[in-house]
Amino acid sequence: MIVRRLIAVLGAGSLLAVAGCGGSAPSGAAGDAAGSGDGPVRIGALHPVSGSMAVDGLQMRRGAQLAVEQINESGGIASLGGREVRLATADTQGKPEIGQSEAQRLISGGAVGLIGTYQSSVSSNVAVVAERNEVPFVMDVTASDEIFQHGYRYSFRVQPGSAKISESAAEYLEQVSQQAGKPAERVAVLHEQTDFGTGAADAFEEAAGKLGMEVGPRISYDATTAADFTSQITQVKASGADVLVVAGYYGDSLLIAKAVDAVEPDLDAVWGVSNGAYDQPKFVSDAGELGDRYFSTNYHFDAQNPETRRLRAEYRQRFGAPMRTGAVLSYDAVQAIAAGVEEAGSTDPAAVRDGIARARIDPLTVGNGPVRFGRDGENVNSAAVLMQIQNGRVKQVYPPEKAESDPDYSVAW
Amino acid sequence: MTATIDTDAPETRAPSATLAVLKRAGVVGALVAAAIAVALIQSGSGIVVWQSVVTGLLTGGLYGLIAMGLTLIFGVLDIVNFAHGALLAVAMFLSFGVVQATGLHPYLTMLVTVPALFLVGVLVHRGLLSGSGGATLENQLLITLGLSLLLENGLLLFFGAEPKNVGLPGETHLDVFGAVVAGSRLYAFAGAVALGLVLYWMLQHTRLGTAIRAVASNGPGAELVGINVRRIHTLTFAIGAACAGAAAALAVPLLSVTPTLGEQFNITAFVVVVLGGMGNVVGALVGGLLIGLVEQLTTIYLDGQSSLLGVFVVFVLVLFLRPQGLFGRRT
Repeated sequence: MIVRRLIAVLGAGSLLAVAGCGGSAPSGAAGDAAGSGDGPVRIGALHPVSGSMAVDGLQMRRGAQLAVEQINESGGIASLGGREVRLATADTQGKPEIGQSEAQRLISGGAVGLIGTYQSSVSSNVAVVAERNEVPFVMDVTASDEIFQHGYRYSFRVQPGSAKISESAAEYLEQVSQQAGKPAERVAVLHEQTDFGTGAADAFEEAAGKLGMEVGPRISYDATTAADFTSQITQVKASGADVLVVAGYYGDSLLIAKAVDAVEPDLDAVWGVSNGAYDQPKFVSDAGELGDRYFSTNYHFDAQNPETRRLRAEYRQRFGAPMRTGAVLSYDAVQAIAAGVEEAGSTDPAAVRDGIARARIDPLTVGNGPVRFGRDGENVNSAAVLMQIQNGRVKQVYPPEKAESDPDYSVAW
Repeated sequence: MTATIDTDAPETRAPSATLAVLKRAGVVGALVAAAIAVALIQSGSGIVVWQSVVTGLLTGGLYGLIAMGLTLIFGVLDIVNFAHGALLAVAMFLSFGVVQATGLHPYLTMLVTVPALFLVGVLVHRGLLSGSGGATLENQLLITLGLSLLLENGLLLFFGAEPKNVGLPGETHLDVFGAVVAGSRLYAFAGAVALGLVLYWMLQHTRLGTAIRAVASNGPGAELVGINVRRIHTLTFAIGAACAGAAAALAVPLLSVTPTLGEQFNITAFVVVVLGGMGNVVGALVGGLLIGLVEQLTTIYLDGQSSLLGVFVVFVLVLFLRPQGLFGRRT
């Protein structure tokens, strides 16, 4: 009886939660297409600024805001007679269905283009909305490659895709370990179980296999509930792997580092792939010495670019926190849409889409050249870089032309 | 007077009931042993399975710790407290704040979090739930759910979403027959067991506990013999909230403190409550240990795929076979 009551209540509770969230999204296409009038050109930014991803979401919204300010300070959109740009923001709450309805709202409000969304699952839904409404969607952070396999015309992405990062990670691992005289032979992979982690692990396994490295054991986990990784790391230790690859978010990656410190497996290196922690200054301060010498292959802001340094200094001064790579990517994504509007000389979203496809943007993130989108919407010149925590600082260490210092292929324990 | 009325009935049935509980415990124990044996065959490495068992039990202690307050409130007040996770988060931030401000040892922050949460519990029950607004089940649900949203977003507003970490001074790693155990996890586990025992003793051997049990088993009857039911309800709710306060101080070195951390535990805690039998504090502890074990063993069986899968399989099985919970005799 009581159990039935509990279940009824739990069921009602979850229904209510869903309904409550759905209800917050204004419906209807009542917007007066403000973007096509004489007002400012609207660019929509969708990020998770509440919920568990809020720190990164807020960073990215601010990054986009800084880009808008930069554009307006340097005279707005010249081809439209110096019209200003304005950011229309939306909170996805980290939920795909909210992202979808908020994207619809921004488009109804006259956005000429959208940027977002930090999460692959949310971006998947937003991409569909963008496609249906024929409004360009430039993704800043979205790891999953699956979105780009549908032949969407209106989806673009600034960051390197999951597969590209994972392939680079495998390549860099082979080269760096060989240079150190300890070629990696057996690689254990620990990844979170959604599209993001699984996609990264799949691509890494394939690339590493081609380079002659054996992958195993491969262990997945649920990042939202995992509270202790001692067992998984014990499994890695028992397998005798040389290298541990970790593809996860911040909190789980921190717990993994703590478990590695406790179990002390015989590894030559810990190798983050698209990892949410091992290239973050916050990880350095939270983990302290136990994070020393961790590697991470990821997209990254270009530490060598003076423009990037200026932007990050400004961010730090205004918001009191170091600007993360995600925020720099949002900056680049807004610049891409603005360049598209400039190129098109119009605020018609379809024309802006063609403008973005033709545009060349100098990115503030690491790349092999200006941002240029291929037929599939991917940034042709995107690139991943290898970073390592050295003496309490995150440093770019490989490939040599992007390196701030040399990789130290060893572990701290 | 109250004591005799309440204990009469159970005592006459006690021997057979105890036997039944022992029997069920035996069945559960045998199933766990079988599950461990299968895991051993599956992974082929003794140390991996042993580590999983140890980790599972320690994590399970944490789940039990969090579920204890919940089960107490549910068993006595019939309130499904959706705000329990949020109260835990509030207590965690309180503990974090005290450590930051005074440099106190994280465990000593219990001196602050327990009374503070007790007070919050009193206020919530008196202010929101005990009036006519909280009379129906639907209203209780809406109130606790709304409260959890309010608390979470309040924390988000004041502290931001950046995860906070509290280190345990002098953190060590112990070797338990080859398995590695972080000191902080062991202490939290010991704390969970101690708290379970204290609550059990309180319920069985104090006047207040007897009154609580009387109200739980028969509200109008308890009122007839002169127990102030409303006051007992408030006290029980406050004790349940104070349990979240104690859990927070013990768990704060283990987790990243975020406003939404309650969500992580809410579902698991409800499963533990049902598994252990609603209102049964010791059942919650045992249920927590079981869920911790199931999570870890699922990881071995399925090479890491969602550990929640195993948890819910067990949950559904228990609901199907024994809907009143494994140890479903009300306290």
